[in-house]
Amino acid sequence: MTAEDVMVSEGAVDEEKRLLQASSAELLSDGRRGLRIKGWIIESINAPILRSLDRDEWEEKLDTSHLPEMVFGKSCFSLLHETTGTRLYFDAFDALEGWKQEALPPVEVPAAEKWKYRRNPSQEVILDYDYTFTTPYHGSATIEPNVESASEDRTCHLNWENCDQQIDLNAPELKEPILFYDEVILYEDELGDNGVSLLTVKVRVMPKCWFLLLRFWLRVDGALMRLRDTRICCSFGDDANAKPVIIREITWREATFQSLSMNDLPSHSAAFRDPNQIVHRLPIVSHKIHKLEVTQ
Amino acid sequence: MSLDLDVQIEQLKRCEPLTEAEVKALCLKAMEILVEESNVQRVDAPVTICGDIHGQFYDMKELFKVGGDCPKTNYLFLGDFVDRGFYSVETFLLLLALKVRYPDRITLIRGNHESRQITQVYGFYDECLRKYGSVNVWRYCTDIFDYLSLSALIDNRVFSVHGGLSPNINTLDQIRIIDRKQEVPHDGGMCDLLWSDPEDVVDGWGISPRGAGFLFGGNVVSSFNRVNNIDYICRAHQLVMEGYKWMFNNQIVTVWSAPNYCYRCGNVAAILELDDDLNKRFRVFDAAPQESRGVPAKKPAPDYFL
Repeated sequence: MTAEDVMVSEGAVDEEKRLLQASSAELLSDGRRGLRIKGWIIESINAPILRSLDRDEWEEKLDTSHLPEMVFGKSCFSLLHETTGTRLYFDAFDALEGWKQEALPPVEVPAAEKWKYRRNPSQEVILDYDYTFTTPYHGSATIEPNVESASEDRTCHLNWENCDQQIDLNAPELKEPILFYDEVILYEDELGDNGVSLLTVKVRVMPKCWFLLLRFWLRVDGALMRLRDTRICCSFGDDANAKPVIIREITWREATFQSLSMNDLPSHSAAFRDPNQIVHRLPIVSHKIHKLEVTQ
Repeated sequence: MSLDLDVQIEQLKRCEPLTEAEVKALCLKAMEILVEESNVQRVDAPVTICGDIHGQFYDMKELFKVGGDCPKTNYLFLGDFVDRGFYSVETFLLLLALKVRYPDRITLIRGNHESRQITQVYGFYDECLRKYGSVNVWRYCTDIFDYLSLSALIDNRVFSVHGGLSPNINTLDQIRIIDRKQEVPHDGGMCDLLWSDPEDVVDGWGISPRGAGFLFGGNVVSSFNRVNNIDYICRAHQLVMEGYKWMFNNQIVTVWSAPNYCYRCGNVAAILELDDDLNKRFRVFDAAPQESRGVPAKKPAPDYFL
């Protein structure tokens, strides 16, 4: 680093401090990654992939003999609203439970056609689990009983209710300076070099709101792309003790490579490494908006 | 020539790529050596067996720190030198330069990523284009891939291959007669050697739920080892958190040599050292420290994603 770089980075640190102070926010201490802001504790944990012994345990719990090759099973993203005890979190285990329940039929790769003549069904077992690890997961939510001020109020329930108020992606509060940003990978599989299956959660916290994107991205080379996005936005409002207003929008998109090539779009896999480049070309197959209601 | 080559090896060890003309000349020399090798290349113990590297150059340097330098240590690499990591060019060229300089002290066999089609999707093609401004280096390298041997046999006792077995192949002689000088085909014995995986839930043969790709169980391995009179199979191809993993009652072992795979998995890596008498010693190692590998620190840059 040059002296100039040091000055620039020190300047950036000062600016970060100033922004946090102006929003009465503070970063978490003791090596934890996250922050406290407007009654929320927002925290991310990035841990290595599961070891073989842990994998065996997960396989047993999930009643499966297959897991994604990279399961970041100890990674987690969590947002806790202290006064109501409302906690939203995102982890691989719950997502894989969703995969197990949905149990989609496997997607055939293009080479499968050619392979049919090689098969000899009397001698071979054809495995038929959903190797894409597609999940309908859109996060987990609980009421934390241990939070002090929520103790009188243990019978709270969380319900996601249909709503028609979309998240306004042009809202000025989403364009304010980012106080905290992180990305947590929950699981990933290379589909035996036939594409990618990836579940991640990204979050950014601004002075007046937090915004997160849970994304399941699947590309089976030459066959299919699937994008399942869950966006959740929470505006802080003026009173940190009030019930937070949390809106989530779930958008599922999907297209076969064949349908893209019919629409004169590129159909080679290299063009689709980044889902952001393709998102608007994938037709929407499902769209839902929910609002989180805390009832007693 | 060997003087030039020594200079190039030193340069590559510093992770500095060669010029396009140097790559072309190196590949021509390598081709002359590789074309003479058998599809089941004979390797004498002692030897150190290494699994997937995937362009993680600085982690491969850790591997050499643990295993010793070539030519002092005799090496067998089981393929997947390129793709996914940031330094596929330097990784492959260093291994290839060592091969040309010390042909009897390092054996390189082909992995499923040593392929024109796969490298266009998983990084090596883009890296060549970015580092050289043209795809010529990618062409020279992928042409060399076609010459890489398909498997190795250590002292007639340990069979080594990138992926696994094939229902089309019962004997080593059936591998020896494959015409390997081609792009990896989509099916057939050559494809299976580079792509297939052992699988606990089948005894015999299985088909991947993708509809292509063989899985093989314990009975298949027992029978192959018995017919070919070998002790066990050593293969790579699959990530193992602990660096290596035995299956089917020690009849096959997976060796994985890319620590902290894709710079985020946090796994350790391993190499397998076999001494003169084929006694085994796994050496487990970690990724290179962050600061020594020229990759930006991992705190992600804030991004106004929507």
